[in-house]
Amino acid sequence: MMSLERFEDLAEIYGGDIARWPEGEREAARALLAGQAERLAPVLAAAAQLDRLLDLAPAQSPDAALLGRLISAAPRPAAVGPRWIVGLSAALGLSAAAFAGVFVGVAFERSPQAAASVAVAVAAEPVVTAVDTNASLQDAIAEPAA
Amino acid sequence: MASDGNDPDEVLLAGVSRGEPAAVRQLLDRRLPRILALARRMLNDAGEAEDVAQETFLRAWKQARAWKPGAARFDTWLHRVALNLCYDRLRRRREIATDAPPEQVDTGPAPDAGLMGAELSRRVEAALAALPPRQREAIVLCHHQGLGNIEAAALMEISIEALESLLARGRRALKASLADLRGASG
Repeated sequence: MMSLERFEDLAEIYGGDIARWPEGEREAARALLAGQAERLAPVLAAAAQLDRLLDLAPAQSPDAALLGRLISAAPRPAAVGPRWIVGLSAALGLSAAAFAGVFVGVAFERSPQAAASVAVAVAAEPVVTAVDTNASLQDAIAEPAA
Repeated sequence: MASDGNDPDEVLLAGVSRGEPAAVRQLLDRRLPRILALARRMLNDAGEAEDVAQETFLRAWKQARAWKPGAARFDTWLHRVALNLCYDRLRRRREIATDAPPEQVDTGPAPDAGLMGAELSRRVEAALAALPPRQREAIVLCHHQGLGNIEAAALMEISIEALESLLARGRRALKASLADLRGASG
C-alpha cells in the first residue's frame, strides 16, 4: 500500500503522468488515486502543468546538410567476392601495369623518334607538354607547374 | 548497462556495419533526432548540439563493425557518448568563464505579460539552462528522452535515490523560476 507522501513525492519527481513513474509503483499509485481522487488529482494536475511547460523546451530537427555528412561518412560495403578473387585481380592489375612499362621502355629504346612524340607525366601535378620534335625523351616529360 | 537482448537497433546496426545505405538512413531517422534534442537541451546552443550529434554518429559508424550484440543497448551507448561530449563542452565553457563571467540567463518574466509560443519556449529553455548540469541531465533523460529511472540512473552512474533527488530538486527549481507561466502552457 502506497502512502500519500510517497504519491506526492513521486509526482514531484516524475511528473503528473503515472505511466512515467517507476514500473513497480504504478499499480499501487493508481489504486491510491482511485480511493483518494479528491485529494490526489490536484497533485497530479500541478505536476502535469510543469510537464507541459517542459515540453516547450525546443528540440531541434536534423537539417539536410547534417544528414548528408553522416550518410557520406557511414561505412561502405566491403569489396564483393571471395578474398582470393580480389587479391588475384589486384595482382593481375599490377602485372599488366608492369608489362606495359617494360613494353614502352623497350619500344622507346628501339625508336628514339617515337619517344619524342609522346608526353609522359611523371611529376606531381605536372603540366604536360606535348612534344612533336626529335628532342630526346628527357625533354618530352612534364614541366613543373608554374 | 547490459542489453536485455531486445535491442531494437541491433538489426539496423548490423546493416550499417555491412555498409547498407538503407540501414544507415533508417538508423539516422530513428536516433539522430533524439540525440540532437538531447544535446540541444543540455547545451542550449543549436550549433554545438549539431556538432555533438555529428561526432556521436561518426563514433557510432566506427563502432558499428565491432559492436557486440547484447553488451549494451545501442540507444544507451549513443546517449552516453553524446552526454560525454556535452560535458566536455560544458567544462570548456566553465574554463572560459573563469576569465570572463558569463552573461546571466534571464529566467524572469518578460515585460509583456502576454507571452507568445516562441517566447514561452525561450523562457523554458533558459530556465532549463540555468539548472546545475546534473539536475538538467536527469530531467532531460527522464522527461524529454523518456528513459526509465533504472536506465537513466545507470547512464548517469548514480543510484535511483540520487536520481530521484536530482529530479526533485530540478523540478522544484523550474517550478519556482517558471511560476509566472502557470496556465500559459494550456
